[in-house]
Amino acid sequence: MARCDIFCTVVDNLGDIGVCWRLARQLAEEYGFRVRLWVDDLVSLSCLCPGASVDATSQQIGAVEVRRWDAEFPLVDVADVVIEAFACDPPATYIAEMARRDVPPVWINLEYLSAEDWVEGCHLLPSTGSGTRLTKYFFFPGFTPQTGGLIREHGLTDARKAFDAVARAEFLRRLGIQSGKNELLVSLFCYRNLSLPGLLGHWSSSETPIRVLTLAGLPTEQVGQWLGGSLSPGAEVRRGSLTVNALPFIPQEDFDRMLWSCDLNFVRGEDSFVRAQLARQPFVWQIYTQTEQTHLVKLEAFLARFLKGFPQANSVRRFWDAWNKELDVVPAWREFAAVLPEVRSRCEEWANLLDRVPDLANNLARFVERTMGSACSRGSTDASGECR
Amino acid sequence: MSIKTAGEIRSGNAIIMGTEPAMVIKTQYNKSGRNAAVVKLRVKNLLTDRVSESILRADDKIEQIVLEKKPCTYSYFSEPFHVFVDSDFNQYEIDAESLADLEKFFCPDMTDVCEVTFFEGKPISVVLPQTIIREVEYTEPAVRGDTSGKVMKAAILKGSKHELQVSAFVEIGDKIEIDTVSGEFKRRCT
Repeated sequence: MARCDIFCTVVDNLGDIGVCWRLARQLAEEYGFRVRLWVDDLVSLSCLCPGASVDATSQQIGAVEVRRWDAEFPLVDVADVVIEAFACDPPATYIAEMARRDVPPVWINLEYLSAEDWVEGCHLLPSTGSGTRLTKYFFFPGFTPQTGGLIREHGLTDARKAFDAVARAEFLRRLGIQSGKNELLVSLFCYRNLSLPGLLGHWSSSETPIRVLTLAGLPTEQVGQWLGGSLSPGAEVRRGSLTVNALPFIPQEDFDRMLWSCDLNFVRGEDSFVRAQLARQPFVWQIYTQTEQTHLVKLEAFLARFLKGFPQANSVRRFWDAWNKELDVVPAWREFAAVLPEVRSRCEEWANLLDRVPDLANNLARFVERTMGSACSRGSTDASGECR
Repeated sequence: MSIKTAGEIRSGNAIIMGTEPAMVIKTQYNKSGRNAAVVKLRVKNLLTDRVSESILRADDKIEQIVLEKKPCTYSYFSEPFHVFVDSDFNQYEIDAESLADLEKFFCPDMTDVCEVTFFEGKPISVVLPQTIIREVEYTEPAVRGDTSGKVMKAAILKGSKHELQVSAFVEIGDKIEIDTVSGEFKRRCT
């Protein structure tokens, strides 16, 4: 059983740990890796994984060993596979140990997700800095078979398909939500967004009743401000046609179920963005803002793939554009809401396309197997034939 | 030697990749996520001539090297090395394997001034002049009737015994110009 160390630093929000926790579990549960997840912020992990201790140096959560990544890094055995998430740089002492091994570990930098064309040409390229014999491979998630794919657990598609009206009603009841038959059920998971108050105001006077499930953190905070106070998890507040339910932090499995349950999902960053696509429901993506407006190029790169050949593409593009540029979104919302049934069909088609692309953990495991195999044949093996 | 960030590296720079020198042939800069950037490099290993692609974070530190170059002339072959000599009569041995593409043009009496490149005092590569002149040792007589120069035939060079295609009018003992990059016959010297 290959040992795998995943290093994760939480820079802001929950995206880094969201991706790492999901990948750690999949590699351990589905591919048999002995996974040790090093994370520098256990509070963030506990938001996604309510059972996690926020101060334990070491804890076993399911099949994954979670270790607190402190400034003073302990002396530990180097794993066979080392994954640094988003170029977070493993500790220098650990890298020095990697270099001391007869056969260095397979070292992977898990990069950010992007739909841009250049990603295909960079996926799995080796990276060797000056003066080192260690090689790191850049692993780019993506939407095509020439990239690393997306994190998609085995059985997810089947579980999604089995999630029928009864399961949905039961799930919502468990969250304490009594959703009306004619309501538009919307989930809200966004960064700070200046467009939000205007949209909430419009929804409150909408002809169609709208129920918004706000996720803990920035979404609930902003909606609370708009309501003129603060929202506690579990609270339900009504303003005209708009009903707001503030959700507590929920585990990743429940986050998926919530996406499956809603008619429209507002998502952000990377992890929730991918899950929304796999949920097969209409979604709106708020991309992480970058300098020089680079994020808008990335946004357009995704839209170009997602909306290719879709007749109502402009209605989607205008709303996403206004939402991401934090403009007045109300005119674009009217147009977008009018084509939601078509968008839903498009999301189904898109998810079917994604289902045909091998998933990220599978691609990663196959790459590790290939690379470890060639490393073993170059290096030495012990009596049992294991790569030393 | 100087330290640069990968984002500062340009085509034509020589750098250390791992522990070996490499010439950067092409760079492509892309913005990744959260304001990070990556640089894709196409590089040629100066010890093996192998061309490969690599990737670095734009803020990765890279050693840039300045390679020493000297004009030298070919001296002789001593298994497994070709020996070159500079104007001070210093001799430099380069293993034949790294000069595989050029060996066909080497001959003991050649006077072409070559450029030898050194990495940490060790000669690692040779560049021949773009055009060299060689004598034809053997070729079949020309077939009468075609003097256009478009009809080609085989010829063997004196010294190296290398065979190449030349115009039909070239004869034994003629001196011909050869393009060392393409390896092709250019013209007969008058």
